[in-house]
Amino acid sequence: MHDSILDYRGFRYLWVALILSIGSIVAYLWHDPIGVPNGGSWLGYTLGTIGALLILWLLWFGVRKRRYSGATGSVRGWLSAHVYLGTTLILIAFLHAGFQVGWNIHTLALVLMLLVIFSGFFGVYAYLRYPAMMTRNRADSTRDAMLAEIRELDGQTLQLADKVDKSIHDAILSSIQHSQLGGGVWAQLTRRDDSAIALAKLKEAVLKSNGESKQSKSGQTMVMMVDFLANQANDTQSENLRRLIDLVSRKRALATRVARDIQLQALMEIWLYIHIPLSLGLLGALTAHVLSVFFYW
Amino acid sequence: MKWFIRRVIKKGKGSLQFEEEIHFGETLTIGRAANQAIFINDLRAALEHARVVALGNGRFRVESLVAAGVRIDGRFEHSATATAGSAIEVGNLRITLVDPPADFEAAVEVGLVDKAEVAAREVSEALPQSLAETGLRKRRWSWALLLLTLTFGLAIPVTAHFVPTLRSLTKDVPAIGMSTWDTGPLASAHHTMANDCQSCHGTPFSVIADDKCIVCHTNTKAHADPVRYALPEIAAARCAHCHRDHNGDTGLVRADQELCSDCHRNLTERVNNDTQLANVGDFGTDHPQFKVLLPAWDAQGKFTPERVSMDQKPLTERSGLKFPHSKHLNPEGLKTPDGVKKLDCANCHAPEPGGALLAPIDFEQHCQSCHRLDFDLRIPDRQVVHGDVAEVQFTLAEFYSKVALEGGYDDVKAPVFVRERRRPGQPAMTAQEQRDALVWARDKATEMTDSLINSRTCTVCHTVSKDPAATQLGWVVAPVRVAGAWYEKASFTHAKHATMGCKDCHAADLSLSSADLLIPDIGAVGSNNAVAPYACRDCHGGENAKHKLGSTCIDCHGFHQAPMPLRAAK
Repeated sequence: MHDSILDYRGFRYLWVALILSIGSIVAYLWHDPIGVPNGGSWLGYTLGTIGALLILWLLWFGVRKRRYSGATGSVRGWLSAHVYLGTTLILIAFLHAGFQVGWNIHTLALVLMLLVIFSGFFGVYAYLRYPAMMTRNRADSTRDAMLAEIRELDGQTLQLADKVDKSIHDAILSSIQHSQLGGGVWAQLTRRDDSAIALAKLKEAVLKSNGESKQSKSGQTMVMMVDFLANQANDTQSENLRRLIDLVSRKRALATRVARDIQLQALMEIWLYIHIPLSLGLLGALTAHVLSVFFYW
Repeated sequence: MKWFIRRVIKKGKGSLQFEEEIHFGETLTIGRAANQAIFINDLRAALEHARVVALGNGRFRVESLVAAGVRIDGRFEHSATATAGSAIEVGNLRITLVDPPADFEAAVEVGLVDKAEVAAREVSEALPQSLAETGLRKRRWSWALLLLTLTFGLAIPVTAHFVPTLRSLTKDVPAIGMSTWDTGPLASAHHTMANDCQSCHGTPFSVIADDKCIVCHTNTKAHADPVRYALPEIAAARCAHCHRDHNGDTGLVRADQELCSDCHRNLTERVNNDTQLANVGDFGTDHPQFKVLLPAWDAQGKFTPERVSMDQKPLTERSGLKFPHSKHLNPEGLKTPDGVKKLDCANCHAPEPGGALLAPIDFEQHCQSCHRLDFDLRIPDRQVVHGDVAEVQFTLAEFYSKVALEGGYDDVKAPVFVRERRRPGQPAMTAQEQRDALVWARDKATEMTDSLINSRTCTVCHTVSKDPAATQLGWVVAPVRVAGAWYEKASFTHAKHATMGCKDCHAADLSLSSADLLIPDIGAVGSNNAVAPYACRDCHGGENAKHKLGSTCIDCHGFHQAPMPLRAAK
């Protein structure tokens, strides 16, 4: 049976994380420090050492995953441990600090660590959910194949539009020239695609060629085009227009799928642009934290 | 207007073929329709796609006739001004405006757009379809954040540690300098140093040295003699072992029971019985009976109180005073010169200004309004002073001398000339009479003094004895101590017990004699204090006591209390 990063080897690392967490909680409750619980008690130093080593090990995952094989288990096993032990780190860090926070480099390290971990949670969600959605969305095709198909459809649409009406050809031409997929970070994440604009332009052109100057109140492009079809005396024209609508709709569906593919791909990746830089920021803050507390012991 | 049109046709292997034609007209039309000046056989062109209008002086306006527009010098436009050199692209054709040859007003060169060029342009103009194409860079941001945190978290504070100028510059700047290292608020007593890390933190990577503490805490005493008890816990431990700052006001001073019981629960073993202290663990369950400081005086009359266990029986207080509390607290009231008065504790016992102990009893303030020191029934408003026998006798001698001289003293035992009042005009006393008067006065004074001290007044409260060697004319009045600290090793304060009534702890209303010790003991079984409702343990328990006030050692005892300096001389 296929196991995911979460149930790898029968939740092996979930158990490791749980044992570590429960052990830390029991030690924290049992420990009776001088004064209030803080990072400077022996348990504070112990949990701090465990936490710092965990962070270094978690950072090492960035190195490990670039290697295809290693003597220390599969990348999938590493990722499973990365997720569970990374989550445990939240608890260990707070117990280490005795829940003390302030406006200082120490709490900055904590905050960066939490941001890294929570961005990682999104990563886990993305890795568990989006690949299946991408596969479903692509429907046995690939993005390149879909883009090629769109280009093919564009050519066919132009040919057909030319047979229907000059203004419709113009509209189709304009929409092909101006429709583009993808864009900046925000556009990719929010799945902006202008195939709807293309349809609206087509609707305008249809209205124009039909001699109507005002917009149809029904507002629905398809409905309006069906009206247009009904008004056509020429059967060939009707047939051509029907085929044209079919082509435009197919293109729209394809463009939507490509945009969705781009969006899912971007969602799969965007958290890494937070997770990785912040984890390096954490490394810096952690180094400063550890060195400073011993510099001013 | 005459246009020169040159068509460039690629023939493969780099060879070109030119076809030239002439077009007459104001405009040069471009499109897929047969009637266009420049015909384009490409569906990406409209039938009538665009036109070029000559404006004269080598300038042209290019207008798109369709919504799709035309690409002029690489950019889609609907209308633009162009000059020689501008390239117009429609469909697969590129129409370049060129300088016209002689006899022509305008000229264009028409050719197919190179396929490789189109492909390259498609790539360069395509919108990013992945995050990597948008210019986001993980590595760049990673390095930036790493350097940022190391700079502000480490480099600047470390530099500030070594460079005083930077230190003072960044002193009050948030997020820059050493304040970024601050692990938490200092205890309020140390707030004056909050901006100056180095008043405590010295050599890097070494723990805070005691010398830094002793700069201010010069008078702090040792816990025990560091030479006699050279235990690591007290003689060698650093101040910061117990005093941990940067935890606000909660952490600096230890108040936990373990601070003491760690050693004191088996102290006798630890120091091989070289101590007078008993083992103590928990106040509620493992604390010896209190030792009270009973008033006592040595042979020379010096106050030398004895520490006696509250378990000792009988336990007699020797205050030196005869004072039945019950009589004074009679609920019916007391007959006084001012009528019947009901007394309560506060009539005599007031707290000291600090609130810890009670102020001493003052005879003139608390007693004399009832216990008058008058001496002669015939002159009841005259009183002698309190507390000085010689002064009393001296006062009486003066008083009766005056009486003898003035006469009119109504006492059958007195000489006649003392009994008769002298009037103006009467002959003066003879010398013999004067001598007799003086003898009478001296005898009367001595008699009155003896009577006051020995039988009438002083002995009501004081124990008086005769000793020819005593300074006070042979009278010895027993010394008195009625208020003071009863438990010298603990710091009890009445102020913190103000919610209690006096009688809750001191059963004064039931005490018939001043020999009763009205001080509560630790409480519980075998208590001598059973008559009062409350002893200490009735309310106070150990640190983890349930249903009682959790009290630790520090609530009553000090830590730095030995009479030696904090560190043994080296």
